[in-house]
Amino acid sequence: MHLIFTEVETSLLVIAVDLHSRQRYLREHPSQLMHVLDSVVTLANMHLMLKTKNKVAIVGCNAARSDFIFCDTDAIQPQPGQSGQSGLARQSDGQYELFAHLETSVKQNIKKFSVDENSSFFDDKDGESLIAGALTMALCYINRMNREKATGEKLNSRLLIVTGCSGGASQHMAYMNVFFTAQKLNIVLDVCSLDYELGLLQQGCDITGGLFLKIPQLQGLLQYLLWVFLPEPPIRKKLVLPPPAKVDYRAACFCHRNLIDIGFVCSICLSIFCKFSPICTTCNTVFKPPGSLLSKKKKKANKNVC
Amino acid sequence: MADAGKISKQPQSKTFQCKNLHDYLKTLPASTLDKLYNHPTTCLAVYRELPEIGRHYVIRILFVEQPVPQAVVASWLAQEHSKEHNEVIKVLSELRVWQEAAIPGGLPGWILNPIFKKNCRMALLGGGRANCIQSQLDADSKPRDIPFLDQYATERWECVLHYMVGSQQQEGISADAVRLLLHAKLMKRDEEDNSPIITREGFQFLLMDTAQQVWHFILQYLHYTVQEHNLDLVECLTFLFQLSFSTLGKDYSTQGMSEAMLKFLQHLREFGLVYQRKRKGGRFYPTRLALNIAAGQTSAPGDIERVGYIVVETNYRVYAYTDSNLQVALVALFCEMMYRFPNLAVGILTRDSIRQALRSGITAEQMINFLRLHAHPRMVAQGPPTLPPTVVDQIKLWENERDRFNFSEGVLYSQFLSQQDFQVLRDHAQGLGVLIWQNERQRTMVVTKGGHDDVKKFWKRYNRGND
Repeated sequence: MHLIFTEVETSLLVIAVDLHSRQRYLREHPSQLMHVLDSVVTLANMHLMLKTKNKVAIVGCNAARSDFIFCDTDAIQPQPGQSGQSGLARQSDGQYELFAHLETSVKQNIKKFSVDENSSFFDDKDGESLIAGALTMALCYINRMNREKATGEKLNSRLLIVTGCSGGASQHMAYMNVFFTAQKLNIVLDVCSLDYELGLLQQGCDITGGLFLKIPQLQGLLQYLLWVFLPEPPIRKKLVLPPPAKVDYRAACFCHRNLIDIGFVCSICLSIFCKFSPICTTCNTVFKPPGSLLSKKKKKANKNVC
Repeated sequence: MADAGKISKQPQSKTFQCKNLHDYLKTLPASTLDKLYNHPTTCLAVYRELPEIGRHYVIRILFVEQPVPQAVVASWLAQEHSKEHNEVIKVLSELRVWQEAAIPGGLPGWILNPIFKKNCRMALLGGGRANCIQSQLDADSKPRDIPFLDQYATERWECVLHYMVGSQQQEGISADAVRLLLHAKLMKRDEEDNSPIITREGFQFLLMDTAQQVWHFILQYLHYTVQEHNLDLVECLTFLFQLSFSTLGKDYSTQGMSEAMLKFLQHLREFGLVYQRKRKGGRFYPTRLALNIAAGQTSAPGDIERVGYIVVETNYRVYAYTDSNLQVALVALFCEMMYRFPNLAVGILTRDSIRQALRSGITAEQMINFLRLHAHPRMVAQGPPTLPPTVVDQIKLWENERDRFNFSEGVLYSQFLSQQDFQVLRDHAQGLGVLIWQNERQRTMVVTKGGHDDVKKFWKRYNRGND
C-alpha cells in the first residue's frame, strides 16, 4: 500500500508557435505549416498523456499579433442546459476526447491568424514575428496559473518556442526581459529552431537551463520534439540528450542590429550602440559630444555584456 | 547437553496490501492482456501507470515500425541509471507492452506489442472505431451539473463507509454490496448474531483516501462478482477504463451496451461511480469516483474530499470541522472524542486511544497519513510540515513501544563443563554468524535455528577430538 505522501505535482507546458508566413520553409512549401502544427499538437497531446494532471497551452504569433490558440479556458466544460450542442463535438472515433478537443480547438483558433494575413490592418508583412510578445503572454499565463492553483499543489512550468524565423534583434530588450523573468520564476525555456541558429534564443536557453535544438530536417520534426522536448527537466538529467552548444553572448547594438564586442552604452538605460549618437534612442538622454580623447573616454565604456 | 529451549516467533501484524493497477495487470494471463489492449482507453490507462522513463521509451518507439536494438535502447539512459533502466525493461516486458524481437543481423531488439501500438496511436491521433460508450446525441431534458454529480458520488460512497463503521444509518446498501464487503474481508460475520462486523483490514480501508478505496473495492468486485454474475472480465475492465477517460458532467448513452454490461452499470451506479436518473433512462453520467480509477493511487485529480477538515495542535488536540457522522467516526478510530458541536468535534490523541487503534490493526503511518490527507486548508497553508512534528513523532513512538521485543527463533546451549568449551563453541558460532546471544558468566548461548545443525556437528567433532 502506498502511504508515502507526495505533493500533487502538475506540469504546465506552454508552446509558442511561430505562424509567420514569411518563414523560409513556409515560403518554399506553404503546406508545411500543417505538418508543423500537427507535430506541435501531437506533442501537446503526448504531454497530456504522460500524466493525468499535466496541462498545456499553445500561443501563436505572427508579425501582427500574438494570441492563445489553446489554453484552459478552451478546456472541456460542457454547459448544462445545452449539452450535446455545446462547443464539444461528439466523438466519432477511438481518439481520447481530450485530445480530439485540443486538436479541433487549435484548428478553429488558427483561423484568426490566417485572416490577419489578408487584412489591410496587417501591412508590415515582412516584419519580424512577435515571439517575444507571445512569450510575455505565456509568462503572464503561467503566473496566473500559479496564483490560481490549489494549496499544496506544485506547478512546474516550462516554455517551448517552435520557430523558423531568423532574427529577433529588433525585440532584443523584450527578449532579455522574458529570459530573466523566466529565470527568476524557475521556468525552463526550450527552443526548437526549424531553420536558423538563433544566437539570442540560445542565450535564453542557457540562462534558464533549457535546450536549444536546430533540427537537421523538417520531416522528422515530431520525433525531435518527442525525444528532446517532451521529457521534463528532472528526467532530462537521466536521459542522454544532445549536448548544449557553445553560446554566443555578444549583444546586438540598438542602432544597426549588429553583433558587437565593444560599443557604447547609455549610462541611463544601458542601451548599446555601435556608433556614438548624441541622443539615446531608447530613453532620449542627451550626451555631451565627445570633445577630446580624454573626455571621450568617460562616455565610452568597454562593453562586456554578460 | 545442548537442550533446546525454543522461543516461538510471534506473527507480525499484517499490513493491508492494496495492489496498484500495474500489480493487478501483472496477475492477468497474457491472452487477457492482449484482449485488453484492443481498446485505446486501456492502453492509455496502462501507459500512465508505467514508470516515467518507461513512458518516454514507449513514446520514442511509438512511431518506429521495425525492432529497435536493445543496445540502442540502453544507450538512451545515462550510464549511472542503468539500474532504473533494467527495472523499466522488466515492467514493460511484464505488461507485454513490448516484446523481444530479433533484428536481421542477430542483435536482440525490442518491438512494441503491435496491438498496444495500434491502439495507443489511435488514442493519440484518432481514427478507428468509436468507443463502446457513446455520447448521447440529443440533449438531456434535465442535465446534471458537476457539483450535483460530486455530491451524489460522495453520498453514495459514504453510504458504504457508513455501513462499515456501523453508524446508525444502514439502509441504502444492497445485499450484493454487503456480500462484496464480506468477500473482500473488510467485514466478517459476527460469530454470535451473524451480523457483519468490521475487520482489521476494514479499519485500514477506512483510512485510505477515496481513490484508493474505490480502486481496492473495484478489484475485489472484479475478482468476485464477475464470476458470480457471469460477466466478462475484459469487457468490465475495458468499460471501467473508458469511464475513467470520459468527461465529467457529460452524459453518455447506454445504447449498444450488452445485457451484462447494463447489469455492471447498475452495480457501478450503486457505489456512486455513475449517476443515472432512471434505470431505463438510456443515459448516464460518470462521476469523479469513476474518473479517478485509472489515475490510480499516484495522483487523484480533483479528489472529492479535497477540502480538509482536521486541525491538529501541538497539545495533541484534534479539531474536526465537520457535521458528518462518518468523518467524526473515522477520527474517533484513533482519537478520544471530547465534545461535539453542530459543526465541530473535538478530540484528543492519547496513548490509550492510539494504542487501541494499533491493536485493531491500524498502523501509525496510516493514522498520520489520514490526518495529513484531511488537514484543514489553513494547516496546509502554514506547512510544510502540515502536522506538528511532535505529534507525528509521538504517534510513531507509541507504535514502536509495542515493538520493544524482537522475537527470533533459536536454540539454547547451556551447562558447558568448562569455560574453554564454551568459548570455543561460542567463537565458532560467531564465526558462522549464527550467534544470537551469549553470556560468558552463565556459560549459555543461543544460536539461530538454521545454524543449530552446523554448531551441533562442530560440537560433536570437537568433543570427539578432545576424547
